[in-house]
Formats: sequence, structure tokens, C-alpha cells
Amino acid sequence: MIAWLTSKRGAPYLFMAPVFVFAVFLFVGPLLFAATISFTDWEGVTAPRWVGLHNYTYLLIHDGFFLTSVWNTLVFAAGSVIVGVPLALIAAALISQSRYQSVWRTIYWLPMITNIVAVAYIWRYILNDTSGLLNRTLDVFGLGGPDWLTSTSTAMLSVIMVASWMSIGQNVLVFLSGLAEIDESYYEAARLDGANPLQLFWHVTIPLLRPTIVFVLITSLINALSAFVLMLILTEGGPARSTTVTGLYLYDMAFTDLRLGRASAAAYILFALIFVISLVQLRLLRRGSVEGA
Amino acid sequence: MQPMRAIVLTVAKYAALGFGSFVMVFPFLDMFLGALRTPAERLAIPMVYWPHDPQWHNFVRVFTELPMLTWFANSVIVTVAITTIQMVTSTMAGYALAKYRFFGSRLLLNAVLGAQMFPFFLLIIPIFFLLRFVPLAGGNDLFGQGGSGLLNSYAAMILPFAVTWYGIFLMRQSFMAVPDEIIDAARMDGAGEFRIFATVALPLIKPGLATLAIFVFIYQWNEVIWTMTVTRTAPELQTIPVGIYLLRGAFVDQSTLSLQQAAVCVSILPIMVVFLLLQRSYIRGLTAGGVKG
Repeated sequence: MIAWLTSKRGAPYLFMAPVFVFAVFLFVGPLLFAATISFTDWEGVTAPRWVGLHNYTYLLIHDGFFLTSVWNTLVFAAGSVIVGVPLALIAAALISQSRYQSVWRTIYWLPMITNIVAVAYIWRYILNDTSGLLNRTLDVFGLGGPDWLTSTSTAMLSVIMVASWMSIGQNVLVFLSGLAEIDESYYEAARLDGANPLQLFWHVTIPLLRPTIVFVLITSLINALSAFVLMLILTEGGPARSTTVTGLYLYDMAFTDLRLGRASAAAYILFALIFVISLVQLRLLRRGSVEGA
Repeated sequence: MQPMRAIVLTVAKYAALGFGSFVMVFPFLDMFLGALRTPAERLAIPMVYWPHDPQWHNFVRVFTELPMLTWFANSVIVTVAITTIQMVTSTMAGYALAKYRFFGSRLLLNAVLGAQMFPFFLLIIPIFFLLRFVPLAGGNDLFGQGGSGLLNSYAAMILPFAVTWYGIFLMRQSFMAVPDEIIDAARMDGAGEFRIFATVALPLIKPGLATLAIFVFIYQWNEVIWTMTVTRTAPELQTIPVGIYLLRGAFVDQSTLSLQQAAVCVSILPIMVVFLLLQRSYIRGLTAGGVKG
């Protein structure tokens, strides 16, 4: 046995062994465990009670808040893509035409290496109604800012802004590597035709960067759909649960209310939603890259 | 193009990038200034923005009045342990997938790629409860009942991150660049499979190893949601960001709010230094191996 494991035939299995063990106990096992308890009523102490599809039907039909949380998730995801991706594209386009590229890139990357508790607290102070930097700046221009984090009409917008600030570096980096692959001759040709920088961006950069743009849109949307830690720390889902996304709702359901069966069902519903959205987007990506080619 | 117009465009470009950089960097400074304000300055209406009498001792208080040294030690222990373990598991599995053709290797590679689709929120609940029911750990009996299992231990904080699919994939990509001839030559010389891996192949992918190590280190140093979930009732195990967050009820008056802001600054500083020193390898890994937030 040992001789086989150290031979050329057996060695790869030995090299993979830690991953096999991990996959069984900390990946596939837990996923199956969660799937199983999603069909039960379980508070974590006594034996789970089988309830069939009840958790799923409860969440989708009777739970007054679950669908609202899904709506909040979609609003957050769409919002952070609409706000974050164009800003990242503009920043990357400007950086790629500038000197000291690595300095700019580092500056825009700083929030990416900052822990999320720090990000949330930094913005809590800045978005504070009376003493916060943002409203004080707006006051200087004679504009009264709202109570960003504690008003139901602006809390989600605030979370979207903070999330975009936090992750812009990621997308800037991807856009920069996409831009670096665009051949300079396209720009030369367009310039000879008398195109100005804005036209170059619109008619040369955007079409040639299309595969990268689609990739960034997909990854940003998927990441945003499963995000919830920022809301947990920045707003605790409030005010009036206006920033409670599904991930946060099910986290509280599990670890505050100890409704583990229902929370697992919620997790699988959210996963199914993300899965379907990814498949739809992948189809669009394929079509996009064929057209782009 | 007319020189006047070119100058205007250049100025506009750097002005836009400069404004963006201000938005990226100033929030950090806002937190720093908050840490230095006196309670009277905080309470003034409007709040005194630039501290006249900087309270530098707030940074000392972070270490004397908060368990910052414990948090710091925990952050170091857990982050170093996870980084080390992941280096081992990722390089071994990545090597097997890159340099051997064995039964199931194609399937395993696809499994590693496919596993990245499962978001972490799906695993939090089941892994938490599976760790609680580990037999004969933390006061549990043979059937995993009665105690807290592996919860409230370094093992609980480390195990779920012992393997990452992204790490395996990144290492596989690195090993693909190692020529088969070198490995075959070592085999001809009679070297064992593990010896070839450790002494021939590994030294050839040093840049890739550095990238993975920095990437994992920064990611784990900033990890919040899992650590918070398993150490909520174990203050002696909390890491810096988790400790600051879970102690939020203690920061109530103007003096302790400055203390909180100082603690947040301290939580960012070590990783900022690591990043600025090693960013070259870090950024290269992000652009080479695809994207993961």
C-alpha cells in the first residue's frame, strides 16, 4: 500500500488526500447536512423533526419578510453594479492613460485590504447626520444632506455607496488588465480619423473591452447577491429592516432565532436564485464574446 | 490636436483621478482625526474637525484599556496557521492536478472549479453545527452530545479555511509552467515522487508561492463573519476586527468613541504595511489567477 502510494501511479492520490478529507467533512458533508435539515424543524439541541417542504413553502408564501429580503438583495446587487462598475471603468480608463499607474492602482485598492469592520465604522462616522464629514461638506455648499444611515429612504443607497467604495479596486484591476490587451493601433487609426478622446473611449475602448465588461458585470453581481456582512455591521439590517438582505436575514434566523431548518431552506433558495442568474448571465457572456470576436 | 485643448484634457484627467483618490483615501484620515479629538471637540456644535490638542494617548489606551494584545496574538496565530496549512494543501493538490494524469483527474479539476460557485453563506450554518457535534471534543461524549465540541477553539477558526479551491487552482496554474522534462529527469535519477515535488518542483514556483501566501494572509487577517460566529462567546479567541465589533456596546461616551476609532486605525495598520511592502506579488496573483473577492 505504502509502496503504491509513493509510486508514480499512487502519488497523485496521496497529494490530493488532504483535499479529499476536507471535501468530505467541510464541504460536501456540510452542504448535504444543510440540505437535509432544510426539510426539518430544528433548534440545534433536540432531534430535528421532519417537516417536508414546509420550510420552503413557509418562506415563499407565508413569511411576511422573506420575499422583501430577496427584493432588498436584488436592489442592493443591481445598485452596486450600476454605481460601482461604471465608476471602476472610468477610473481604469483614466489610469491607463496616465503616468504613475501603479500609484493610482494602489490608492484605489486600499479599501480592498481593509477589514470590513473598519470599513463600516469609517463610513458610520462619515455618514453621521450632524457631525459626519459628508453632511458637513454638503452644508458648505448650502445643501442639507439626509440622515444617511438611519432613514429608510437613504439607508440602502448609503450601503450601496459604501459597498462600491469598498470594491472599486477589484474592478479597476480587472479593467486595467483588459485595457492593457487592447492594441494601440486601433487608437492610432481612430485618431487619424480625427476622433477625440471621448469618441475613442466610446467607439474603440468600450466595444473592444466588451468581454471584460461582461465578466466584471457577472462577478460583481454574483458577489453582491451573496453579500451581507457589510449590512450586518454598518446598519444591522435597519432601519426598519430596509437593508436586510436575504443573507443577513438567514444569518439572524440561524444564529439569533435558532431556526436552523428554515434558515438552511432560505440559504438554498438564495443559492438557487444566484445559480439561475449566473446561468442566464453566462449565456449572455457566450453570446457577447462571439459577437465581440 | 491643438496644444491648448491637450493641456485642458490632461488637467481634467488628473483632476478626476485626484478627486477619486481623495474619496478613496480621505475616509481613512477621517477615522484617524476622530481618534485624536478631545471629548469637548467632539461635542462642540459644529464638531471641531481638525483636533487642536491631538489625543495621541488614545493609541496607547488601545493597548492598555482594550484586550488589543490578545486580539493581535489571535489574529497572528490564526492567520499564520491558515496561511501555512493552505500553502501545503494547495501546492500538493495543485501539483497533482498539474503534473499527473490519473483516474479522475479531469473530473477533480472540474470539481475544484465548480466548488467555487458555492457561496460561504451556504456553509456557515452546517459547519458551525457539525463542529459542535464533534465527538469527544469540548466536553462532548462519544456521540457528540453534551458539550460545545470544537467551537470556541482555534481549530474551529482554522479548519474551514484549511483548503480553498481558488488556492488549488492558482497553484495548479503555477505548476503547469514547470517543464515535464525536469520532473522526468529527476525520476530517472531515482528520486521519489514526494521528493521531486518538494525539492524540484516547489522551488521553481517561488513567485506563485509568494503570491498565494500574501493573498491568503491578507484575506484571512480581514476575515470577520466566520470568526465572529464561532468566537462570539469566547473573548479570549477573538481577532482584532471581531473583537472591536463585538465590544461595540462598550464604546458609549465621547472619550471611548475616540478609543474605538483609534482601535479601528490599529486594526488597519499591520495589513496596510504588509500590502505596501509586498503589493507587487499580490497584484500579480490577482491579475493572473482570475478574480475572487
